[in-house]
Amino acid sequence: MTLKFLLQKEFLQIRRNAFLPRLIVAFPIVIMCVTPWVMNMEVKQIRVVAVDCDHTVRSQRLLHDLEASHYFTFNGQRATYQEALADVEHSKADVIVEIRNGKYLIAANSVNGTKGSMGSAYLSQIIAQQDVAGQAPTGQGMAVKLLYNPHQNYQLYMIPALFAIVVMLMTGFLPALNIVGEKEQGTIEQMNVTPVSRWAFILAKLIPYWLIALFVVTMCLLLSWGVYGITPAGSVVWVYVLVILLAMFFSSFGLIISNYSETMQQAIFVMWFFVVCLMLLSGLFTPTRSMPSWAYLTTYVNPMHYFIDAIRTVFIRGGGFHEISLQLLALLCIGLSMGVWAVASYKKNA
Amino acid sequence: MNAIEVNGVSKRYGNVVALDDVTFSVGKGEVFGIIGPDGAGKTSLYRILCTLLLPDGGTACVDGFDVRKQASQIRRRVGYMPGRFSLYEDLTVEENLEFFATLFGTTLHEGYDSIKAIYGQIEKFRHRRAGALSGGMKQKLALSCALVHSPSVLFLDEPTTGVDPVSRKEFWEMLSTLRERGITVVASTPYLDEVRRCDRVAFLEKGRIRGIDRPEVVLEQFRDIFNPPGIAHENTLAKDEKVIEVEHLVKAFGTFRAVDDISFSVKRGEIFGFLGANGAGKTTAMHMLTGLNQPTSGTGRVAGYDIRTQHEKIKKHIGYMSQRFSLYDDLSVAENIRLFAGIYGMKEPEIKDKTARMLEQLQFSEHKDDLVSSLPLGWKQKLAFSVSIFHEPDIVFLDEPTGGVDPSTRRQFWDLIYQAAARGITVFVTTHYMDEAEYCDRISIMVDGKIKALGTPDSLKRQFSQPDMDHVFTYLARQATRSSD
Amino acid sequence: MKKFLSFVLKESKHILRDRRTMLILFGMPVVLMLLFGFAITTDVRNVRTVIVADHLSAQGRQSVERLAASEYFTIVSTASTPAEAERFVRSQKADLAIVFASEKRGIQLVVDGADPNMAQQWATYAQQVIANPPSGPVNVKMLYNPQMKSAYNFVPAIMGMLLMLVCAMMTSVSIVREKERGTMEVLLVSPVRPLMVVVAKAVPYLLLAVVILGVILLMARFVLGVPLAGSLFWIVAVSIVYIILALALGLLISNVAQTQMMALLLSAMVLLMPIVMLSGMLFPVESMPVALQWLSAIVPPRYYIEAMRKLMIMGVGIGEVLTEVGILVLMTLALLAVSLLTFKTRLAR
Repeated sequence: MTLKFLLQKEFLQIRRNAFLPRLIVAFPIVIMCVTPWVMNMEVKQIRVVAVDCDHTVRSQRLLHDLEASHYFTFNGQRATYQEALADVEHSKADVIVEIRNGKYLIAANSVNGTKGSMGSAYLSQIIAQQDVAGQAPTGQGMAVKLLYNPHQNYQLYMIPALFAIVVMLMTGFLPALNIVGEKEQGTIEQMNVTPVSRWAFILAKLIPYWLIALFVVTMCLLLSWGVYGITPAGSVVWVYVLVILLAMFFSSFGLIISNYSETMQQAIFVMWFFVVCLMLLSGLFTPTRSMPSWAYLTTYVNPMHYFIDAIRTVFIRGGGFHEISLQLLALLCIGLSMGVWAVASYKKNA
Repeated sequence: MNAIEVNGVSKRYGNVVALDDVTFSVGKGEVFGIIGPDGAGKTSLYRILCTLLLPDGGTACVDGFDVRKQASQIRRRVGYMPGRFSLYEDLTVEENLEFFATLFGTTLHEGYDSIKAIYGQIEKFRHRRAGALSGGMKQKLALSCALVHSPSVLFLDEPTTGVDPVSRKEFWEMLSTLRERGITVVASTPYLDEVRRCDRVAFLEKGRIRGIDRPEVVLEQFRDIFNPPGIAHENTLAKDEKVIEVEHLVKAFGTFRAVDDISFSVKRGEIFGFLGANGAGKTTAMHMLTGLNQPTSGTGRVAGYDIRTQHEKIKKHIGYMSQRFSLYDDLSVAENIRLFAGIYGMKEPEIKDKTARMLEQLQFSEHKDDLVSSLPLGWKQKLAFSVSIFHEPDIVFLDEPTGGVDPSTRRQFWDLIYQAAARGITVFVTTHYMDEAEYCDRISIMVDGKIKALGTPDSLKRQFSQPDMDHVFTYLARQATRSSD
Repeated sequence: MKKFLSFVLKESKHILRDRRTMLILFGMPVVLMLLFGFAITTDVRNVRTVIVADHLSAQGRQSVERLAASEYFTIVSTASTPAEAERFVRSQKADLAIVFASEKRGIQLVVDGADPNMAQQWATYAQQVIANPPSGPVNVKMLYNPQMKSAYNFVPAIMGMLLMLVCAMMTSVSIVREKERGTMEVLLVSPVRPLMVVVAKAVPYLLLAVVILGVILLMARFVLGVPLAGSLFWIVAVSIVYIILALALGLLISNVAQTQMMALLLSAMVLLMPIVMLSGMLFPVESMPVALQWLSAIVPPRYYIEAMRKLMIMGVGIGEVLTEVGILVLMTLALLAVSLLTFKTRLAR
């Protein structure tokens, strides 16, 4: 019963805060409206310069093809390789193609590895197509069938991941500041001399963040439908279930950090450290299977990894309970144990 | 030339008038008191004089410099101690002092003599972090920091709130020596004995100056506010049943025994005053009784439950009001009441009923929906007390409940305490006001973690052959060998 | 001068005494460098592959052997029909199915296309391994980053993010904390000039940031093997300009924020998110819509990261990054001016 009163208090405090309600509304909007455009790993408009020493029909045809290609922005010809390299150094070109005695040299600026390799790969492809034109095809024709995401829409891939980021930031950082805040204010002492149970106290701190998570994710779903026309392929129920489980983990985790911290600054730095690690190792941006095995092992205890995996399955591949049961179980276990820890780490009697 | 000239200064925050046409002057080398209830505009006045705040109208000069245009000259000449602790909690006592000394272009070594009387008491703890000091000790350190340099004008905003009587006396003696060196002092205080030590005082109320004169004259003029009639209290309720029983209680932090083997008992319905100098161990003892801390050794029972093993049961039967604010600033009056009532398991209709009745009694019904942060200090304290006994506990623990409020508000507060006691609630209270000590049924005085005296106020006065409680306290506290925490 | 030093000393003590924050401050660059250097990679590796090998020709068998031998693919299973293989992919047990059908129908790749980039790369790699083209007339040379390490790209990004975080967040919080605790009032009333208060507060964080910079550079050079191709002097010089910029930004935040919580949230969410998103540290600016490209033009780390990539990795001279450095210097001056002008030497109430 006391839970009801404690909950009311938490909600009132959040509502009265000058900054939090605005943050809760504005943050998902900004993230959903901006980041899908930004999180675009597609490599476009690679600037290429050519050094044509041959001046043959073949080399002319290649340059023509380059101009026509929509991958490349053809920045003209240079007399020597040195001149072309200077262009790269001045950031006027990304790739150089040199044609000499019928041989091709592709030199790509690969400070950004993806860009470099994609650029040189595309370029090689164009050259290869040219060369094989007229000859018998080397390989048998290979057909590629893409399952899901038929339009190769990168936004569809990233939007469910954004749900994870929004939920993580909203339900992780705010509770991390909560108990430390009461400690710094001195009100926690008053709570500690009341007969309020540790469970009720911690639950009252957790539940508002779960509701915030639900609110935020509803906003995200509406925005992704309204702005991008993207809706989950699977059942929306599973999206909510997953979000609640993730919120359970992060809110408990935030409170744990808050319980052990002495100042708000400490809490936020520690939280930030874990958030960055969890996020980078979750497969949100990069495939987990490409990681070395020691790093891959950490994904077994990383709730973000399970969440990202599962929500992409639901959202993009249209999976249901059967497909994500393992992830649901893992998230539940991690979330519950964090909850228990959060209660255990709150000490009323030192 | 006068040290301070204030002419028709006014200041408003939105609709709230903080200062309204304030005019006064302070002569060089004078000790000038500013008295008045909380929210009278004292802090705003200090801030204007220290050039922290711009007045809306009027002029003010400090040491001959205008507060609007010559802020940097003034800042070079004044010292200021704000009302709340202005210390760096993660620096040690000595580091704090040295930093502030350098800030004002002097050194701890040079300024040592001028702060010796106060700093001497906490010097033993110079390597301790300021954050680990008790409230009163922090105040002493903040005082030392403010006094370590010799400004020409010194502004002290309630410098002795939470400081024990002995140290307060020493502090005012130090101020007297400053006067001899030609330093002008402007100080505010809720203590009458301190008011009497000023050369002149100004009584400020609701942003207006009601009177400026010698202290005796002002105190006489506003007798109802400063010298409310004493409270006659006859306790007939106290029964022999013991609600608090403590035997050989010890709390040690490392080798330091904050509470060193104390034994006492409190009877049901009694008002028990728990006195002691800053750092004598009062708060630590209280924390053990309220189940916030585990004792190192010894036994204790509160409301019939063991303080070691049944602390959560104890919490159901007690109320607690701490030095720091125990209400949530960002909740309204009614919401705070509702929250704490709910925590103690009261039912919805009962809460509603009782809230209405309680606010009625406090004549506070119209402020039901005001945020606590907007209330004056005295109101917050009365409210916090009413909330702490809202669930009709067996015992209520009050840790310096009346720190920093004026005599008439304190008087009203004690009326509330008596009402509670009349209903059979045992009151366990710590205070630094010795007039309040006289109001208690029985008192104990702690020195160096031990209880040095225990009995009714009258019996203690007889026992130590002293005229009043103030002298009893001073007599005992001066015997302290360790001075803190 | 003595006052100044004692100020700096006091501020340094605040930093040094908060052990946990210190641990994070130095642990963060180390962990981030290790993660980005070793763990986070977009390489194609260990792609779970299903083979449908009902009609395997001799050529096909060789292809499967090559697939199995390559580090790109891990053959997790074989299936008898294309439909069965597709079920493998659909049930998340494999990422890619390769159907070696009869001669005429050629080879079919069934790819989990949820991640468009990776899907494309898997298909391309698979095609290459299967076709095993003889070395053609094309010679590819990777400039600056021959081993294609992602660390080359990320080290400047980590520098841009961490320096901003340490400087802006830490300074803003430490100033706001003094406001909250009331010590700011005393400092303001003291004879010390407000400008000195601010500068003295910034100095320890500047030193801290330089130390962190050193840690990052040393780790980059000796642990990750990223060559510091450019002039060390200019790398440090440009970084210090950037650090000052971040400190000014921190001061600005502290002028706006009333509470520590607000300062923290402002710098954590409102400041950090645009940096991560719009600075080009993870996502190339060129691929963004024009409106966002404009927006990113006011994000300072964009120029810093760009300059560092050129100076550190490409090893070009300072002359090639004059634009970026010039913009950074101008931004620094503007931010310093704004933040110092808005710094209030009096209270609002």
